[in-house]
Amino acid sequence: MTKQAKILNIVQYIVLIILTIISVFPFFWMIVAATNPSVEVTKGTLTFGSYFTENLKTLLSSDLQFINAFKNSLFIAVITTTLAMIVSSAAGYAFEVYKNKTRDKVFNFVLLSMMVPFAALMVPLFRLFSNFNKVPVLENIGLNTNGSVIIIAIATAFLIFFFRQNTRTFPKDLIEAARIDGLGEFEIFARIYMPTMKSTYAAAVVVTFMTSWNNYLWPLIALQSPEKRTLPLILSAMGSSYTPDYGMMMTAVVISTLPTALLFFFMQKQFVAGMTGSVKG
Amino acid sequence: MRVKKFLAITLASTMLMSVAACGSTDDNKNSASATDENSITIWAWDEAFNIKAAQEAKDIYLETNPDAEINIVTMAQDDIVAKLNTSLSSSSYDGLPNIVLIEDYKSQGYLTSYEDEFAELSDIMNQDDFASYKTAVNQINGKVYGIPFDSGVTATFYRTDLIEQAGYTTEDMKNLTWEKYIEIGKAVKEKTGKDLCTLDPSDIGQIRMMMQSAGAWYTDADGKVSISNNQALKDAIKIYKDMVDSGCVKQISDWDQFVGALNNGEVASVVTGCWIAPSIKMADDQSGKWAVAEFPKMAANEDSVNASSIGGAGWYVLKNVGNTELAKDFLKNTFASNIELMNSLADSITLVSTLNAASEGENYSKANEFFGGQELFSDLAKWTSEVPSVNYGLNTYAIEDLMTEAVQAIVGGADVDSTLTEYQAQIEAAIGA
Repeated sequence: MTKQAKILNIVQYIVLIILTIISVFPFFWMIVAATNPSVEVTKGTLTFGSYFTENLKTLLSSDLQFINAFKNSLFIAVITTTLAMIVSSAAGYAFEVYKNKTRDKVFNFVLLSMMVPFAALMVPLFRLFSNFNKVPVLENIGLNTNGSVIIIAIATAFLIFFFRQNTRTFPKDLIEAARIDGLGEFEIFARIYMPTMKSTYAAAVVVTFMTSWNNYLWPLIALQSPEKRTLPLILSAMGSSYTPDYGMMMTAVVISTLPTALLFFFMQKQFVAGMTGSVKG
Repeated sequence: MRVKKFLAITLASTMLMSVAACGSTDDNKNSASATDENSITIWAWDEAFNIKAAQEAKDIYLETNPDAEINIVTMAQDDIVAKLNTSLSSSSYDGLPNIVLIEDYKSQGYLTSYEDEFAELSDIMNQDDFASYKTAVNQINGKVYGIPFDSGVTATFYRTDLIEQAGYTTEDMKNLTWEKYIEIGKAVKEKTGKDLCTLDPSDIGQIRMMMQSAGAWYTDADGKVSISNNQALKDAIKIYKDMVDSGCVKQISDWDQFVGALNNGEVASVVTGCWIAPSIKMADDQSGKWAVAEFPKMAANEDSVNASSIGGAGWYVLKNVGNTELAKDFLKNTFASNIELMNSLADSITLVSTLNAASEGENYSKANEFFGGQELFSDLAKWTSEVPSVNYGLNTYAIEDLMTEAVQAIVGGADVDSTLTEYQAQIEAAIGA
């Protein structure tokens, strides 16, 4: 290695180390804060304290029903992710594989819905869902049900677009071959397409799960009773206070971050592969 | 993230207002969430304060009405606003509470947009029982809709030890003016190296307090935007600029740092609402070193008095949700009249009640050790009764967003008169006045 290359190397590492510290620091601070009483947090203490169990106790004994909210969030996120994978990937697949005249027009229309901010849809949706409550069967997705939060997240323009883009790299010959071998269209999708596109699914799972986990605005207005609330709503409720208990809040945040962090760590490799769009056929 | 949330909510609210204007006659009125006739729900924010108050009120009420079922729900204030706006504008009452806490700055906005949604409370409370500045905001068209709750009375909380090191005594803190306050601050900085107080450039609550101490607001008595010809506002901005220029204030950027500076002993004082007391008290090691003086007045402004307010809220009843009578009866027997409740809340959550008679409670005359044996509550209660009444108008926060920019420009050296004239026009355009 020449001297110049060495220096370059060192500089690169220094820059990377600084960037790493910047990205990791908030997490470090969050964990430190969870182990300290509120007053130490506001003082800016950066060493681990021994107050974690106390914070945990305050959190669990507060009537915000944290455990319950955690369960709700998990239930909604898991069901949403599962359904979204089936529905959105099927849509993305169909848009790419089946050719017909109006296909691109319909697809543009789907994309267009990405441009409408959710806040603009909020009131119409709210009124629609409040009417569902009066209809048998549909009442399961009416206001104040887990269904209301799940149903609007399972077919999103982003996911359909994402699957369609990735389907482009899916070798069409496989489909032809399968058809000749006598597989039905659904079986081709389920038995050939799905296993081949694993990494795409992995990326979509991570994105969908996180979006659902962090979803705030719609659950806020759709979920009415306190026992239905999800984690972001509980965290938000803790925040507005004259004398917030930062220790307890940070404990809650640490616990809320765990599922998404774990999911991401486990699927990191596939996530990156899926995002860059490579298919190992 | 906050900005995004805020934008979303603002946009949504605008949409909602327009939907509301269409006038919806939804047929699911009174499909009341409270299926049980004996149950009511209360929404409020702040677990350590409003929620605890509601819980104590509930306990008291249940003693005489054991059949009643009272559900108390903690929710962020912004969340309450978003949910109320969505539901009220689509006339959908599913899941709405019977009683809701609304901040004073926002109450006129609600009453103007949704007067029909709130129950009139004149029959369960007497306006004269409450501090006069609170009863200016809970009514519209001569009808009372809210029970005043906490006082946001302001005071100067200061460290006696640091003030003494700077060569001043508690006597000097009496009848305080902002000019004197800054003078003391410079001495404190020189002798102890500590700053006088914190200042958050993105939060001009200090200017709001100064204005109210002179009986003025961003809006005049009729609710019209009053910026360019507002002498109190000009005086307040001048003092604000003087403070920044004095070099004895510590700049901060959020609530966390604000409380941290107090707990760390980095600043010698804080001028703000009485609700800061519990946060100050968190630092056990500073016990006995704090004292409380009146809010400083503006020497240059004749109308300015040694009392003002920041924050504070009131309880409102949503009448189309159902069980209105029970909700009213609950408020009547608790927040509208119960002195014992107020007395006990003074102790448990350091509530300074706006119910005048509350100052007779025994906890109000108790000496507070943390504050050097001072009778904290009787002082705060006395100042509460002196707060000038102002009309908060409909858009305090919207105006303040723009005013924050204006103040920053002026602090940066821009001309006061021309800046305020420019912003008067901008604000009028923004809120469609």
